[in-house]
Amino acid sequence: MNKEAPLSIAERDFILNALREDVRLDGRAADQLRPLTVSFGEEYGHVKVQLGRTSLIVRISAEVTKPHDDRPFDGLFTIAMELTAMGSPAWDNGRQGDLETYVTNVLDRVVRHSNALDTESLCIVKGVSCWSIRADVHITDYDGNLIDAACAGIMAGLQHFRRQDAVVKEGQVIVYGLDERVPVALNITHKPLSVTFHTFDEGKKVIIDATRKEEQASEADVVIGLNNAGDVCFMSKFSGSPVDAMVFVDKTSVALEKVKEINAIIDKALQADLAKRAKSGMLEMSRAENDRELEQ
Amino acid sequence: MVGPTASLTPLARADGSASYHCPSTGSNILGSVNAPVELPGRRDALKPEDATVEVFVKTGTAPASVGERYVEGIIRGVVGRLILGRERGYARRGVVITLAIVGGESVGRADSHLTLLPALLHTALLALLSASVPLSMTFSATVLSVDASGKITREPSAEVAAAAKSIHVLAFTSKGHLLLNESEGAFDFDTWEKVRQRASAICHGTSTVGADGDIAMVEDADGQPLEGTIRETVEDQVHRDYAWKIDAA
Amino acid sequence: MASTAPSLTLPPSQFARLQPHAYLLAHLSPPASSNQPSIRANGRAPAQFRVTSANTGSLTHTNGSAVVRVGDTTAVCGVRAEILPTDDIASWSVSHTSSRTTNKRQKLANSDSEEQQEEEDPNDKSHIQDLNLLVPNLSLSTGCAPGFIPGAPPSALAQSLSHQILNLLHSTRLVRAEDLRVWYQPPSLGGESLERHNAEEQMDVDDEGTGKEDDGEKAEVKAFWVLYIDVMIVSLAGNPFDAAWAAVLAALRDTKLPKASWDVDNEIVVCSDKVSEARKLALRGLPVASSFGVFEADAAAGWRAVIVPDAEEERLIEEGARKGIQRRWVLADPDGYEEGLSQERACVVVDKKQGKTVIVKMEKNGGWALDGQALKEVVEISARRWEEVKSILEQC
Repeated sequence: MNKEAPLSIAERDFILNALREDVRLDGRAADQLRPLTVSFGEEYGHVKVQLGRTSLIVRISAEVTKPHDDRPFDGLFTIAMELTAMGSPAWDNGRQGDLETYVTNVLDRVVRHSNALDTESLCIVKGVSCWSIRADVHITDYDGNLIDAACAGIMAGLQHFRRQDAVVKEGQVIVYGLDERVPVALNITHKPLSVTFHTFDEGKKVIIDATRKEEQASEADVVIGLNNAGDVCFMSKFSGSPVDAMVFVDKTSVALEKVKEINAIIDKALQADLAKRAKSGMLEMSRAENDRELEQ
Repeated sequence: MVGPTASLTPLARADGSASYHCPSTGSNILGSVNAPVELPGRRDALKPEDATVEVFVKTGTAPASVGERYVEGIIRGVVGRLILGRERGYARRGVVITLAIVGGESVGRADSHLTLLPALLHTALLALLSASVPLSMTFSATVLSVDASGKITREPSAEVAAAAKSIHVLAFTSKGHLLLNESEGAFDFDTWEKVRQRASAICHGTSTVGADGDIAMVEDADGQPLEGTIRETVEDQVHRDYAWKIDAA
Repeated sequence: MASTAPSLTLPPSQFARLQPHAYLLAHLSPPASSNQPSIRANGRAPAQFRVTSANTGSLTHTNGSAVVRVGDTTAVCGVRAEILPTDDIASWSVSHTSSRTTNKRQKLANSDSEEQQEEEDPNDKSHIQDLNLLVPNLSLSTGCAPGFIPGAPPSALAQSLSHQILNLLHSTRLVRAEDLRVWYQPPSLGGESLERHNAEEQMDVDDEGTGKEDDGEKAEVKAFWVLYIDVMIVSLAGNPFDAAWAAVLAALRDTKLPKASWDVDNEIVVCSDKVSEARKLALRGLPVASSFGVFEADAAAGWRAVIVPDAEEERLIEEGARKGIQRRWVLADPDGYEEGLSQERACVVVDKKQGKTVIVKMEKNGGWALDGQALKEVVEISARRWEEVKSILEQC
């Protein structure tokens, strides 16, 4: 199937007419995000993102592999996203749809190609071994705006993730377990996020963070990828009807504001998690000592 | 021993869903069920009088491999026998079960998926219950490992499983039938009989076997039977869902 | 009016298509009056396997190959060995301090001396498994059965069979990792010049030096053999796993690896092309797979299984039924027709060591008929089948 059931004409008209009166179905303003919560699991790099009724889980993992022959100094970074029937009954398991290709491509551009993760820092031994970082995105509930939610999830995951420490000794790479050496955070160069706009009425109405129904009723979408400093790293107008160039100009400042807002939420969640870990880490330490005493 | 924890219907979009966490094996599974759904494109493969069950297992942190297809086959075999696919509205339609491994260590390409299997099966069952798919009965499953000295460990961690001589996954229906057995590694039939007894005790408790003092001890060690855990999870959810009605009464 | 009414009888082949369940049931439980024995529609007794034949060395461009026929199911297996230098293995020089996979290189050096005496080599599993030295792939090729269309991606069945073969190769530890290692023994300092001289010309001395028999602490693994085990089901008439596994087993028994040694000067692995120097794999045991299907008389069971007796009640029914009519049949080696009629499957892989039956793998799924006693019988049948297959494989 790979296509959501289309909106009825009445429903579409209702959404459009409401928008013309500056009203969104959930009562938000045009430039307002749905409530966003970012939370972390027990493992490093396990992130749960809830954006309104869209939710997803990102898992970051690392393993040692051989670098590509043409780039011996670079580590590997892949973003894997597969849409399954879990997120929406309209998605088919094991079949790639248009949406999946599109979203994966945008995420790749915003996060990977903007070099948010410094891949050179992942190199262990030139041309022999390097870290391969993998971000798996599991969409658990789909209610519009996959791109922004996934982007926030991946960036939060990369900042939260800690890889095992690796040391080169006499040509041997020694990887220390998480409990033996303090794990290493990834080298994040900047924090790009995407903001997706949807246009209605020949570009007269522009909203951010559309729900699934708003997405279906919209004419076109515009994605802007920015970091906190305001550097644009991605901009696209992929499909749908033409959009006035001024939309890009006008909305970039809105996007920057939203990127800062989302990054603040991520930072806050990271801080909270760090504090929690520090607390339980102390407990863990004391418990580990007890274990050792028992063993003796 | 810390028992597994589960919750019903954590997701909004799917018809039914469940999350399941087993602390001893460290697995954390999220499952969803869409049923009954139309399965276009597979019209020729649909059975005329029965529902088609599709299972999809999504790896947590590794690329998909053939191992998942194998596990999917096992899960399909188990739940396919429970789903009443001939009920009204199910024939010629599909029951799509999606299971995502959202926590715990990922399984390597060649590793066996057996330690994950009970968690996947329980998640599938709870998701089916949450989606109100008609079932003939429920089941409970467990994994046991036997080491070289013959010691049986319940729900072994990855390290214990790697060192074990044989690993067994058994599932029992709510009526006590052996629904599934997957054993690998070298063992003899007597060992298997012992494993079966222990598994039965874990899933159902030992009350049905007879009041033998020795066996009763086993039950204590294993805590609440799994069958009860599944039942309570569903009961709790029903209580929450019908709180308005129960309160009014 | 004198004309006879058109006959309502059907030829057996049509009856078999229209009412497959009733057809098989009629064969298995003939009316008591007919005095006919209970037999499967294909003429076999319930515990009887199909005629099996095996032939090895059929493919020229492989290191080992076999064709196994089980009735109309035919599997062709070819084993091809490729060299994997350790330099190409990303995880080769990586050691994890905490987890179970400790440094592969170090571990090797430690266990090197003992592994000749000891059969249980702790490295074995991790090496073969972590480095993926065994790569089985099974394809259900076009035309093996009507349902397979050309150009389709590997079916779920083919994928899960591949996985089962891989899993079984690992859990039985059939292939020894030692057989797959290519060693290099650095020459002792004294005879260095002599050896180098020889190595350039003939490699003879070097070859001897690579042997692992002498003071092996400096010996180093330079490469591994990777065995690509490709199975093709040429014709599928039920029970592909038994045939595929038998073909894998026969092909591995047939596999010969050329003598390989490390050439220090060119830093490559050199294989000798002398047939006399090639050696066979020393396999651990001979695990044989037997599959079963359970046929249930109660056709309505699939219709609406609303009333399912619980296990205790069922046992009582079973007791009673034993004297009277049988309601379930465990069919060994089901053919395609029987597979379509049995939901419950079982597969047992057994091996015999010193006359004792060892179960290597036992699985049952899809129903609840097989339990304790029935499974025990299935294991016994499998043990008998082991003898049968052993003699077939030894003859080819």
